[in-house]
Amino acid sequence: MKIDRRCFLSLGIGATAGTALSPLPWKLMDDISIWSQNWPWTPVPPDGEISYTDSTCTLCPGGCGITVRKIDNRVVKIEGRKNHPVNNGGICVLGLSGPQLLYGPTRVQSPMKNVNGTFQKITWNQALSEITEKLLTIRAEGRSHTVAGIAGSSRGTVPALLQRFLTAYGSPNFYCQSSIEDSFSLSHIQPQNNKTIPGFDLENADYVLSFGTGIMDGWGSPLRMIQAGNAWKTGKTKLIQVEPRLSDTAAKSDEWLPSKPGTEAILALGIAHVILLESLYDQTAINYHSEGFSTWRTAVLAHYHPDKVAEITGIDSRTIITVGREFGHAERPVAIFGRGKGNTPLSLTEMSAVHALNVLVGNVNKTGGVFTLPEPNYISWPEISLDTKAETGLQTKQIAEGGLLHRLPSAIKEAEDSVTLLFVADANPCYTLTDTKEVIRAFKKIPFKVSFSSYMDETATLSDLILPNHSYLERYEDVPVTSGLRNPLIGFTKPIVNPLFQTKHTGDVIISIARAMKGSIGSSFPWENYLQCLKNGLGQHWNPLINNDVVEIKYVPEFEDIPRFAFQIPNDKPQVLLEGNENNMNLTLIPSDSLRLSSGYIGAPPFMMKTLPDTILTDNNTIIQIHPKTAEKLGLRQGCYAILKTPKDEKKVKIHLSQGIGEDIISFPRGLGHTAYDRYLAGKGINFNELIGPVEDTFSGLDVAWGIRASLIKA
Amino acid sequence: MDSAFIPEGVKRCPFSQFLAGLGVVGVVLAWGIYAMLLCWLKGLNQTNMNDSYGFALWIWADLAIIALGGGAFFSGFLKYIVGKDELKNIINFAVLIGFICYSSALLILAIDIGQPLRGWFIFWHANVHSMLTEVAFCLSCYFGVLTIEYIPLILENRKIDKIPFFHNLSHNMHEIMAVFASTGAFLSCFHQGSLGGVAGVLFGRPFAYREGLLVWPWTFFLFTWSAAAYGPCFTIFLTRLLEKITGKKLVKDNVIDLLAKISGWMIFTYIIAKIIDTWYWAAVTVHSKGQTLMDFYDDNMFYGLWILVAEIVVGGIFPALILLTKKGRNSEALLWTAVILACLGVCINRWVMVLQVMAAPVLPFEDWALYYPSWQEVATTILPVAYGIILVMISYRYLPIFPQEKELNPIESY
Amino acid sequence: MTQEYRKEKKYGMVIDLDKCTGCGACMVACMAENNVPFRDNETDKLKSITWMRVYQLNNGKSYPNEEICYLPRPCMHCEGHNGHSPCVTVCPAIATDYDRETGIVSQIITRCFGCRYCMGACPYHARYFNWWDPVWPDGMEKSLSPNVSPRMRGVVEKCTFCFHRYQLAYEKAASEGRRELRENEYQPSCTQACPAGAITFGDLINKNQAVYKMKKDPRAFRLLERLGTNPKIYYLSSREWVRRAGDNYHPDEETGIVKNHR
Repeated sequence: MKIDRRCFLSLGIGATAGTALSPLPWKLMDDISIWSQNWPWTPVPPDGEISYTDSTCTLCPGGCGITVRKIDNRVVKIEGRKNHPVNNGGICVLGLSGPQLLYGPTRVQSPMKNVNGTFQKITWNQALSEITEKLLTIRAEGRSHTVAGIAGSSRGTVPALLQRFLTAYGSPNFYCQSSIEDSFSLSHIQPQNNKTIPGFDLENADYVLSFGTGIMDGWGSPLRMIQAGNAWKTGKTKLIQVEPRLSDTAAKSDEWLPSKPGTEAILALGIAHVILLESLYDQTAINYHSEGFSTWRTAVLAHYHPDKVAEITGIDSRTIITVGREFGHAERPVAIFGRGKGNTPLSLTEMSAVHALNVLVGNVNKTGGVFTLPEPNYISWPEISLDTKAETGLQTKQIAEGGLLHRLPSAIKEAEDSVTLLFVADANPCYTLTDTKEVIRAFKKIPFKVSFSSYMDETATLSDLILPNHSYLERYEDVPVTSGLRNPLIGFTKPIVNPLFQTKHTGDVIISIARAMKGSIGSSFPWENYLQCLKNGLGQHWNPLINNDVVEIKYVPEFEDIPRFAFQIPNDKPQVLLEGNENNMNLTLIPSDSLRLSSGYIGAPPFMMKTLPDTILTDNNTIIQIHPKTAEKLGLRQGCYAILKTPKDEKKVKIHLSQGIGEDIISFPRGLGHTAYDRYLAGKGINFNELIGPVEDTFSGLDVAWGIRASLIKA
Repeated sequence: MDSAFIPEGVKRCPFSQFLAGLGVVGVVLAWGIYAMLLCWLKGLNQTNMNDSYGFALWIWADLAIIALGGGAFFSGFLKYIVGKDELKNIINFAVLIGFICYSSALLILAIDIGQPLRGWFIFWHANVHSMLTEVAFCLSCYFGVLTIEYIPLILENRKIDKIPFFHNLSHNMHEIMAVFASTGAFLSCFHQGSLGGVAGVLFGRPFAYREGLLVWPWTFFLFTWSAAAYGPCFTIFLTRLLEKITGKKLVKDNVIDLLAKISGWMIFTYIIAKIIDTWYWAAVTVHSKGQTLMDFYDDNMFYGLWILVAEIVVGGIFPALILLTKKGRNSEALLWTAVILACLGVCINRWVMVLQVMAAPVLPFEDWALYYPSWQEVATTILPVAYGIILVMISYRYLPIFPQEKELNPIESY
Repeated sequence: MTQEYRKEKKYGMVIDLDKCTGCGACMVACMAENNVPFRDNETDKLKSITWMRVYQLNNGKSYPNEEICYLPRPCMHCEGHNGHSPCVTVCPAIATDYDRETGIVSQIITRCFGCRYCMGACPYHARYFNWWDPVWPDGMEKSLSPNVSPRMRGVVEKCTFCFHRYQLAYEKAASEGRRELRENEYQPSCTQACPAGAITFGDLINKNQAVYKMKKDPRAFRLLERLGTNPKIYYLSSREWVRRAGDNYHPDEETGIVKNHR
């Protein structure tokens, strides 16, 4: 066989052409193309009809209006509701992540019973009869007062139902976490036995003096604050931020006064000194709104000269004088209080020192100022009926003295059987209470714990029984919002989707337990179900809420209703002292709050975790911020590890050097270190609450710890 | 055992020794293949690449081996177009190296892309403005050419040659080889250039960006030039290495000398061009973007001026000067030094044009991003080396790669 | 056919950094709208897909004079010179394209084969590679929107200015017999979510739209204008150091000397 060139070429060309013309390569390429574009494990979201439903977000106390986008029956997106009085279309990272909570792996999908450390699914009938029996036994033993309840809030129909149940049952032990509102209320003399809550007309202020308030970091109703902050920018309102670290609020302020941590009250008194000395105060308003001015005036003038204050606070006296003058001369100045997100109460001294500035310049109950609002008691239910057992039970002293939640763990520690059964609703005390380790230890001692949580949070994980609530996108509920708003609101959630799992509304659960117990307890709950109870309780507000999801509670104070501010005579040291020995722990640990990290009872969903900068968390390490000079003294470098020790605990942390914080201060992100929830959150970083413990205010008993002494040693 | 396949008149090591050698390299090859499969099955999360380092070790390896494999096209060009006939004694080996380099480059590219099954989109949906499209087309075509150039060599195996079909095929292919070689030279010029263009057109990356001629940035020309200049050094280096390993002289000195001299001149002229380019880039291009030369060599843990010196002086000027002098070329030690430095020099150039481009921050508020490869990246990069060694071993054993071997190493008749 | 009648647009944004508080809502709004996947460890920011990323800038001064500023960075949808965006020109498979009708740089994920050349070309790091297969925990795939296909491993993705919203808005307008969209009809998810109202979106060449006026603000600047990328995101800042951080400058140069392609 002889192959010449022509033969060779034609053979080659023929073969190529032949293969190319056959369908084989084209079919293969087509298949590969389709297959490589639609991999079976990449989900293809089904299409459907788009609809939008308005509701209210309950993930933080902010009470924003939301518009939920659905495709057929799936929630695909949550957006801010336009023209809502709180957020007007804006929305935050947590609110946006709502669908991840609804559909996420953290949902408790049915009632669960803890059997020797593992949770087993049980039916609602089993769960309810077990709990009812337990309650009946305890009551029969005459120990109804050992049943306690913790709610996330004191307001709204669900906490009210829990409290009502405990009352009818015969227990005074209803608790919820104290807040800045308690401090505010306590600094006033009430005309009636009511609470006074602060309402800030911030949008109309022209000079804002903030004492560590996280205006842009989640204080109050976070989005309303951001929008107010924006109004200030356009309206030339000046924002002065007093805070030891360069928070996002300090970054947005017109002037950042980096005071030494814990000296806010003294700085406020120094500013008051200037106002008093230069007679920039409004005597008429002071007389009208307060008591004890003249003695206070003398004390402040005697002890809080700017020079002395400068020495303590680290803010120079000229700045103090300037701020004092500006505040005194401004038309609608306002001083706001509450560190960071404002979740922890303030000492009465600090609260008074700061709010005194508002009273001095006469901006109480005035446009652009602070309003003293009554508690929005809008629920109208029939009288509760009490039998003798209930009355006896209610006579007992509260287990935690003064009804202060932070005292509960130590009370349980002292008297083991003081709580035999505990209900927890919309709260996660095993994460959010300080000295968390002790809290968990005490919690474990309670023989029977019932959690109503929709999510597998820390408290639910440690409970004996979980009676999962519907998620907020599956239920009707009123959402009372105060959060420093000028007027309190009632928001409203409604079922956007049918319940996905075997969950039950906590309201329904409480009602059915009560009714099952019959007697006076049953008759105190005359409603068939929660919806009826809600409708009954909301009364006149029902229709507007069903139609518009939000109602504003307007209140025009009459003179005799006005609570009067009580000037507190400051002692020599109006600071809350830090726990720990100054000699071996010479650093001050303070928390840093951020809108990108949820520190409340709802843990951060995956999307939120994704927004965390790598200066807060890397892998599973919490990153703390210190000044380079602090690092130098301690032999620490950027990115190295160190052991952070406080009187409560010690933890390994990673170091980030920052010029946004003073020497000898450690800034620690709050909201990490969950042990429960999903793999996107659990085990990431350290819970700040484990590192500090309650420090009680001598006047009010509130836990006012704002930080703790600490040491850092290179790891 | 396999003596029937071994070319006539040459001596090869015992088959067992050959197998043992293959086995050792085979282990490395298997390791590389394992890593390759990991990358394909589990995805590119097996690498240490990230969103700052879309291009990393692999692209460098690609650029580097193609530059080193440039010996093939340039010797082809010299032999077939310029007419340096002496080079026929080394051209086979150059072709073999080229074949290894280019097939490796294609393999690495196939690992490097996120969706290997869609790799053909580069041809199907080709964007003619993209340098990478140009690279893909030229690379594949030139690989085809190299295959065509390599096939006759295979056909010259003693056994295969006995089959008339293959004998004639081989003969025919040899006859038209000049056409392919010149086509190859042309294609290669282009894709070496377009590989240079890959970095040079990035006007969002001042470190890489170069002005140029028409649509081609200066790096386009510099890359072609440097491949032509440094490629022969790699051919010489490997020839010398093979001679050391086999203990035989395989190519006559005059051939090596000629190639070395040409390479010397090429490197010399290239490095002048490179210096001018660097100066112009620093003084004009970068300056107009608000930056200075030192912005790219400062403030980080790795990239200092040393790398510029290593590339231009140590890896450029030094070898050029050695290769330009007769004394340098004739001294065994100096020649070794020169070719090694030259190979390093061009590798550094390719590294810088890939990795440093990614590392240097452009936004003023960003930092340098440093990177080190994962073992999977290293293994898949070593994979072609192992594969190359095996191919050289087999080719050397069974094919008449070095026409002068017989003459230089006569077997004593017994 | 209707396309022929549509006026050419150059959609873009003006982001007021004086208003931005760095809350991150734009980032999550984007993720939720565009089915962006997430992993259990997202702390390596070089492997974390965030089409919209909020940078924190500082003025480099020491305590207590440090200032910080947040800068949200979506895709800049560079026009380059006559539509030659840095990334579009380099893509070998036309998987990313400059749409001359809207000025949007598109990304065709089913076309992309993951060579990542575009990522190398983009000086803003606006492009992200899917290093992993996207995985949603059981049940959470219900929260995915059908308007945006989830991407597969091995392809590059980026901000599209929520192009699907443009399409929906356009379909709606067309059904009402309108050829042109109203200014507020097409707004990306980030713009809509921003609680500070810091992001304004619109047609940069339409004299009647807010962005047209805002981009002429003396506070306005763009990122890396000197490179000639001609981005469609404008930033506003009253702080000189922030504006200067938007580009590279020699010490003797004045901030904002280069204002190309206005």
